[in-house]
Amino acid sequence: MRILVVEDDIETADYICSSLGAQGHVALHAADGKDGYMQALDNDFDVMVIDRMLPRLDGLSLVKSIRIADVPTPIIILSAMGGLNDRVEGLEAGADDYLVKPFAFSELHARISALMRRPPMQSEETVMKVGDLELDLVRHSVQRAGQPITLQPREYRLLIYLMRNTGKVLTRTMLLEAVWDFHFDPQTNVVETHISRLRNKIDKPFDASLIHTVRGAGYSLHV
Amino acid sequence: MSRPSRFGLNRTSVRLSLQFAFLYAILSAVMFVGAYWMTDFEVRDWIEDRMKYDVGNLQQVLDTRGADALRERVALLSEFSFENERIYQLRDALGAHLTGTVIDTSQLKARSFLPVAALDLAVPTDPEVSGYWIRVDPIGPFTLVQGTGDNVIAEVMEALTIALVGGYILVISAGLFIGQFVGARTERRIGRILETLEDVSRGALARRIATPEGDRDDLSRVSSAINATLAQVQTLLESQKQIATDIAHDLRTPLQRLRQRLERMINSGDDQPDLHAALGETETLIETFKALLRIAQIESGVQHQHFVPVDLASIARDVVEIYQPVAEDEQQSLTAALPTGPVQISGDPALLGQLLSNLIENAIRHCPEGATLQVTLESGPQGPVLCVSDDGPGIPAAERDKVFRRFYRIEQSRTTEGHGLGLPLVKAICTLHGATVQLIDNAPGLRVCVTFTKGESA
Repeated sequence: MRILVVEDDIETADYICSSLGAQGHVALHAADGKDGYMQALDNDFDVMVIDRMLPRLDGLSLVKSIRIADVPTPIIILSAMGGLNDRVEGLEAGADDYLVKPFAFSELHARISALMRRPPMQSEETVMKVGDLELDLVRHSVQRAGQPITLQPREYRLLIYLMRNTGKVLTRTMLLEAVWDFHFDPQTNVVETHISRLRNKIDKPFDASLIHTVRGAGYSLHV
Repeated sequence: MSRPSRFGLNRTSVRLSLQFAFLYAILSAVMFVGAYWMTDFEVRDWIEDRMKYDVGNLQQVLDTRGADALRERVALLSEFSFENERIYQLRDALGAHLTGTVIDTSQLKARSFLPVAALDLAVPTDPEVSGYWIRVDPIGPFTLVQGTGDNVIAEVMEALTIALVGGYILVISAGLFIGQFVGARTERRIGRILETLEDVSRGALARRIATPEGDRDDLSRVSSAINATLAQVQTLLESQKQIATDIAHDLRTPLQRLRQRLERMINSGDDQPDLHAALGETETLIETFKALLRIAQIESGVQHQHFVPVDLASIARDVVEIYQPVAEDEQQSLTAALPTGPVQISGDPALLGQLLSNLIENAIRHCPEGATLQVTLESGPQGPVLCVSDDGPGIPAAERDKVFRRFYRIEQSRTTEGHGLGLPLVKAICTLHGATVQLIDNAPGLRVCVTFTKGESA
């Protein structure tokens, strides 16, 4: 996958690029907003990672310019400000995801992976299947190996998110944001508790586990 | 804060007016006595002069026209004195009565005063005359005894009394009126100073007392001094906040690099436990800085612009639903008593969610197994009241204010995890929403209540 990294701190940029390289991606680096804009238009990327504070052209303006130029490539904004409205402003400018610095590479990687090859939204897709697990979006029903499973509303939302991102690593933060709309770090095991509840219903009564813990990164649902 | 009643004695203006009236009354009395004494003296002097002129005139009558003309003249004067304003008696060289009114000088009182009753007067006397000032002078071989009624003094005193008492009433009422007016104006200005200080104490640090241009009286000087102090306090607090923000900002890049280097070492196969521990510590550092920055941002108040109508009941329902399994895992029970209908306020939904999450998490973390936690939302006299109650160890009364300080940890919870910024963040979110947060003894346990003020957060 081809990834554009627009970041002015050379050491951070090097780390992101080399780590992405180690994961088998091709990462190109731009050190300022203008350079980033030229590269974004000249090359075809799968994902762009853009720092919010950049010399010559700031990150938000860069994202807006890219969107005005009709480039639909998924964009992750990196914010060094941790601002309350940075996320909303980033998304409003046209970014697809948002990550606060300092971040763990695993977090960035998980988010890049979630954005890449986003399956085209098939509105007619009403039943999702992973192995013998089935979720019917219309009938709000879940069954595994033919056995119906009753889920609480939150467990249902968590399962939908996991199934939509089958095979991808979803971090704790991604789950908090997507499932519970929490944009802060809880001091208790909210995610672990809810995952464990879901496991008790989805995995425990069956032979093979579908929800996997990815050490130091997050969770992933796959066969 | 108790305000002085509109006409109460504790109002400076009323008190000043009354003090002024009292002082003026005393001064008037002193002035009255002085004026009375002076007038009495001067009028008597003038009467004496008039009587001396009469003696002079009669002396001339005697010298030029002779003794008979004098007798005739005194008789005329005595007979035709309207309402007996003046009385005359002419005596011969031996002191025997010749003509005029019989005046018994043996009955003279002090200061040559003879009361009306001591005289036998043919014509009715002016009722204002209570007696006569008597003067005895020799005219040739004769003796002239003459008296002037004291009604002149009475009239003058009457006029003087009217002038002084009338003036007193006029000055006092004008004084009270002006006192009220000036006082009310002063009152309003003091009211504005108090309002500003109350606002500042509620966190509106940028508020200042309006000081009209060119108005350089004592209250303006006090206002300017207060404004200068407020500006100084604001600068200090802002620089303190700015220091926290700056430190957090400036440490972002080094922290990012530190974490990257640790990650890189771990990823390159160096699997020392120390490295993982170092990464863990870095994470804690980062979390603390994030929380500090967030508090600083909320305290700056800019989030006000992003307020939208929110339903507190639905936020509470969602957050409680999220934490119920967490509490169950700790063998605790978390219940909610929420109104079925919406409870609308103006606010930031994400921050309000975080506020309630923090309070619930605090309860979960500080309560032992088997504890009962409850979230309630009721309507209070001021606005909605959101409470999180537990029956855990509670917080000692002496510590209840301190727990809102950054990094403050009460002794019994030093061992539990957390950065000590949860309650300061709650407090900051409350202040942003114009809400107050209170820690109440739940006997046993703790009850944290957030009181929103309807309309104020809009």
